Order: sequence, then C-alpha cells, then structure tokens
Amino acid sequence: MAVNLASLKTTLKGYLKYRGGEGQISFLLHRLTGLGTLLFLIIHILDTSTVYFFPDLYEHAIGLYRSTPFMLGEIALVFAVIYHALNGLRVAIVDMFLPAKWTLKAQRSAARWTLTASIVLWLPAAAVMMRSLLKHNFGLFGG
Amino acid sequence: MTMALNEIKTKQNIETVAWRWMRYSGILLLPLVWGHVLLQDVVVGVHAIDLDYVIQRWSSIAWQTYDILLLAFAFAHGMNGLRQVLNDYVHGERAKRVLAWGILALWLVVSAIGGVAIVAAAQKHLAGL
Repeated sequence: MAVNLASLKTTLKGYLKYRGGEGQISFLLHRLTGLGTLLFLIIHILDTSTVYFFPDLYEHAIGLYRSTPFMLGEIALVFAVIYHALNGLRVAIVDMFLPAKWTLKAQRSAARWTLTASIVLWLPAAAVMMRSLLKHNFGLFGG
Repeated sequence: MTMALNEIKTKQNIETVAWRWMRYSGILLLPLVWGHVLLQDVVVGVHAIDLDYVIQRWSSIAWQTYDILLLAFAFAHGMNGLRQVLNDYVHGERAKRVLAWGILALWLVVSAIGGVAIVAAAQKHLAGL
C-alpha cells in the first residue's frame, strides 16, 4: 500500500508546525477522539461478544476493564465521546441552520465554547469514575 | 451569498450518501452513546458488571434493541470515519480500493459477531441453566 514513512513524517511535522489555531485543534481533536473511540469500540464489541461465544472468558475480560490503566482509559474515553459529539453537533447545527455563522471569528469562539462545554460536562463524570477507581483499586472511600 | 450556496445542487453518489449518513447517525448517536456510557461507566460502573448482569440485560427486548441500534450506527459511523481519515493519507486508486474493501469486510465480520451475541446470548445462557 502507498503508505510510507516519509509521508507520515511530513504529516506529523505539518500537524505540529501548522499554526491553524482553534480550527486546527478542533480538526485534530475530532479525528483523535473519533479514532480513539473506534479503537475502543472494536475491542468492546469483541470482548462483550464472549458472553455468547466463550462465556468463561468474559469474567477475564471484565477483570481487565477493572484494572487501573483501563479505568483511566475509560475516563479518557468519556471525554472523547463528549467532545466528539459536541464538536460534531457544532458543525451540523451551523451547517444546517446557521450558515451565516461560518466565519473565522464566530467559529473560533464556537470551537472554544465546544471545548469548554466538553470539559464542564466531563468533570462530574470523571469525578464519579475516579472515585470508583480509588475505592475499588486503592481501598479508599471505604472500598 | 448564503442563498446562492443553498441553491447549489450536487449530484448524488455513494460518497454524498455516506456523508449524509455520517450526519444522521451522528445526531442519533448523541443520545444513544451518551446514554450508554452514562449508565454503564458512570452510574453502574465496571465493578458491578459481570456475566449475569449482561445476560439479564440482554433478556430484555428493549435493551437488545438499544444495543443493536448502538452497534449498527456507532460502528458504521466509526468505520466510515476511519475510511475518510485514511483516504487523506493513502494515495492511489488501487490502494484506496483495497482499503475500502478491507474496512467493509472488518465492519461486516465484527458487526455480525456483535449482533449474534446481542440476539442469542441470553437464550443460550438461560437454556443451559
């Protein structure tokens, strides 16, 4: 296939050097959160399917999900799912109902609001999940 | 300016259809995925989830339907998104075609595995008891 390291290097260098501001960051975050969620989704579909195909393996799979690295990953996953949805919603709403808002100034501000709203929605969920992690894996909060 | 933009008619092909479905599925996925993640990861939590929990959940036709919708729309949305991202980096008609068929095959196989599990797991388990 026509993927080579030189072009990958050019791509990565371009992402680091290109100073596209909010628009570039939104683009990158949308792709990274989307791909990250997809990677998790593939693993999640296959491991949950063991409930039917290899029920004995399911307890082993869920044991992995209860480990500290996986629980931290899940907290990150929740952010990815919130940001990807809100950013997609921003693009869809402006596209369908507010095309006059497709200006650099308005969208820079909208991109900042999208990230802020994502963090605000994520924090309470992250706190609940972090509490569960500390309780079950570190014996805090009477765990 | 915006009026003129609205009036542009584009020819429909498989890419415009795929693009439109990314948007439809995206809007549908917001409540479906947020609901799923909020319930399973935040409210219930992974320490309360085990084989019996999943079997009990899949004994309900409503939750089976929810999970089938989630599987169908989320995974299709994700795999098409992956195809779009890779198309930015993979050049050449042949390479793009190989990639598209590979993604389609992976999508069909994993969707089938997940679909069978959602539909049949509870029955199999309860029959074995």
